[in-house]
Amino acid sequence: MGCDLVTVSTDTQYVHLAWQTSEKELAKVKYPMAADPTGKVSRMFGVYDENTGLALRGTFIINPEGVLLNQEINFYNLGRNIDELMRKFKANIYMSRKTSEVCPSKWKEEGDKTLSPSAKMVGKVHEALQG
Amino acid sequence: MMAETAYGLKLGQKVPDFELTTYDPVTGEFGAFSLREQLKNKRWTILFFYPADFTFV
Repeated sequence: MGCDLVTVSTDTQYVHLAWQTSEKELAKVKYPMAADPTGKVSRMFGVYDENTGLALRGTFIINPEGVLLNQEINFYNLGRNIDELMRKFKANIYMSRKTSEVCPSKWKEEGDKTLSPSAKMVGKVHEALQG
Repeated sequence: MMAETAYGLKLGQKVPDFELTTYDPVTGEFGAFSLREQLKNKRWTILFFYPADFTFV
């Protein structure tokens, strides 16, 4: 299933261009870099800091129906773990196909143990995870 | 330092449509991102906010 990653900051598209073309770490960037200089979209997602005019480190996963499924917001000084982002993203796609299953915390990719909640599993999650 | 943010969207909520101007490093051109277009094309979207260009992401 198709997915697009879009980065957003309150810088303009001109600054994005200048940064991406001057910083060698960004030479291989393939995703569009979006500009939110008014902070309108950052405010909508609750990441706009009125004290600084900057957006906090927020990550949001939206499904093809436009529904918000995950959000993670870190303060300025903590970077995000991309492996965890990809785990959440893969889990969302998997569960959108297998709607009766849920992905436990240790789930990493398709084929890993999932759970199918039912009355029989109540109080037996340990056994279900081992099985 | 405390951040002053308003409440955002709720999980499970349909995200209101929005558009943003973009810079696309692949083409080197400016463009636009539209949530409505994403939904029309049945695409998933990951939005990745960060404080500022020219700093550590």
